Amino acid sequence: MSATAAQRFLQDAAVKSADLMHREVIRRGMDSYDAAHLKGRARIKDWEAARQRCQEIKREAINHLDRYLLQFEEKVAARGGHVFWAANSEEACAYVKNLATRLNVKTVVKSKSMVTEEIHLGTALEKAGIKVWETDFGEFIVQLREEGPYHIVTPAMHLLRGQIATLFQEKLGQKIESDDPAYLMAVARRVLREAFFSAEMGISGANFLVADAGVIAISTNEGNGRLCTSIPRIHVVVTGIEKVIPRLEDLAVLWPVLATSGTGQGITTYGTLIGGARQSGEADGPEEFHVVLVDNGRSQLLADPEQREVLHCIRCGACLNICPVFRHVGGHTYGTTYPGPIGSVLTPHLNGIKEFKHLSYASSLCGACTSVCPVKIDLHHHLLQNRRNATEAGATKASERLMFRAWRHAMLHPRIYALGGWSMRKALRIAYGLGLQGSILDPMRVWNRYRSPVPLPAESFRARWRRDRAAN
Amino acid sequence: MPQTDRAQSENPSREQILQRIRAGLRTPVKVEEPAATTSDRMIFEPIQNPLERFQQECIANLMECALTADSTASARHLADVLQSLPEGEIFVQDDPSLRRVVELAAPGRAIRWSSQGAPSEASQATVTLAEALIAQTGSILVTASCGGRGASVIAPCHIVYATIPQLVPDLATALGRASREQTLDHNSFACVISGSSRTADIEKILVQGAHGPRRLVVILQTER
Repeated sequence: MSATAAQRFLQDAAVKSADLMHREVIRRGMDSYDAAHLKGRARIKDWEAARQRCQEIKREAINHLDRYLLQFEEKVAARGGHVFWAANSEEACAYVKNLATRLNVKTVVKSKSMVTEEIHLGTALEKAGIKVWETDFGEFIVQLREEGPYHIVTPAMHLLRGQIATLFQEKLGQKIESDDPAYLMAVARRVLREAFFSAEMGISGANFLVADAGVIAISTNEGNGRLCTSIPRIHVVVTGIEKVIPRLEDLAVLWPVLATSGTGQGITTYGTLIGGARQSGEADGPEEFHVVLVDNGRSQLLADPEQREVLHCIRCGACLNICPVFRHVGGHTYGTTYPGPIGSVLTPHLNGIKEFKHLSYASSLCGACTSVCPVKIDLHHHLLQNRRNATEAGATKASERLMFRAWRHAMLHPRIYALGGWSMRKALRIAYGLGLQGSILDPMRVWNRYRSPVPLPAESFRARWRRDRAAN
Repeated sequence: MPQTDRAQSENPSREQILQRIRAGLRTPVKVEEPAATTSDRMIFEPIQNPLERFQQECIANLMECALTADSTASARHLADVLQSLPEGEIFVQDDPSLRRVVELAAPGRAIRWSSQGAPSEASQATVTLAEALIAQTGSILVTASCGGRGASVIAPCHIVYATIPQLVPDLATALGRASREQTLDHNSFACVISGSSRTADIEKILVQGAHGPRRLVVILQTER
């Protein structure tokens, strides 16, 4: 029998947090993000006011979601674009696959989109015999490695340049002469240029859907998103229904805030706005424009007023970067499309509380995620609510319920509690005395396995309390 | 309405999703009203000197900005930039002002005009106008009217010919104007470009020139 998601998480987390090389790579990556992020924040006069504005914009959009989506749809349709509403992954994938088959598409170029990862669009298209190229540099690398993105903004941040050089040598069938990042990028550029000019369909995500202007907004630094939406004859946008914002002017705050939180830049290199296919008189651009609006559990989350604001997320990755758990266990350990704090909150809603409730516990509840969120999502409290919801839904194991009942009993009966403490100290003293710390017979094995043993107190807290009180 | 009927038959989930959204929103969220709504002036430092700010931001964005006095000086600067590039075709937005400047700057050079269609992959540079320049972020705003979509991303060098009156202080001004003038109804595409294409996907090391131009040059003319 295959392991459950929770067992896999525990196993992978133990391996990754003991992998010093991995930790060093992530530490270096996060250190340079931290420096850039702080510098970026200093460019904004009042960061708190900016966060508040972004929160207000997204709150207005989400709480009038039907109205703004219809406004967006009407504008796009008026220009001849197609808007398709997909209830789930299957519907979204089927729409894109049927479109590709009908229009005789052999090759697709994709720019970065977490929603396409969420619905496994690439796999669905490959199954239909369509070649799919991920064109974001980091996504291209992880696609060659046949793994998912490690991080929602920097998908290949867990790899060193040498590993990427070796990968290119093996997979691209050409001689790789250096591991210089600029050289490796140039190699990828040449390979992908051919893809851009041969593909019939470009698939992009959208960072925002602008309701009043009826356009999608894409932020990209590399320019691959631009090429995907300029050269192929069909452009398909795949995005979540929660990405809508009311007004074009809202981007005057959202763009700088997204860039600052995502990478520390003042603004992303390309802020692209697209409202449809090529118009008459324009030099180039696709002949067809399709937008797939994916629900996939989002409308259910909307119905929960306590956690509705989770849909405000603009996928900047700031909560991943600051999270002490993410920094130790890494992105792949989560086993989900969206890792880190936002992923731990969101995944139980999208993929089921029973299988993913363990993610609510992959947090020290330190609140660092909440403190950096640019749209002020109360992430760590939502983790607590998910814990409560899982328990109320009866998703806990009988052994866990029994243990908590015993704990409750002990907490209500001081003598039993004291007895428990006494026997634990005894057991540990014996285990340590026999040199068994960290072994399978050590009651504190979970902690002692990878750390110096927990020191044994000479007396109980209660005994010490009594002694100190007597002394005063 | 026939259009709605058609949408309904081709996309049965549309109505269901909308119904779920409406049902979900029936329970409102409790929101503490903020003391005052935030204004742009609170969030961003107002721009005192747009030209100076634009030049500073260009440096930060790793792009080149050359101030020129008149069209002759602009043509001279354009000639210098083009000469520094490898031989090969250049792609130019088909506009009378650009025709004049480019013919002065690069007589005899192979040129593809935007009226002839999309730029070719082999083009060495693109010369276009911009809709606006944005001081706050050191950005240029281009639309499909500025030679199309590929013009600002296919060639390894993008040269923008602009004049001082096109400079606006901030993003809010540029986007507000685009909104009022319905720029995105008249153009299928617009882009706020802030520097050359780049990536930091390997070990967070900045590489200039990813999928798009390595070089972005703004020739900013003080007079029309």
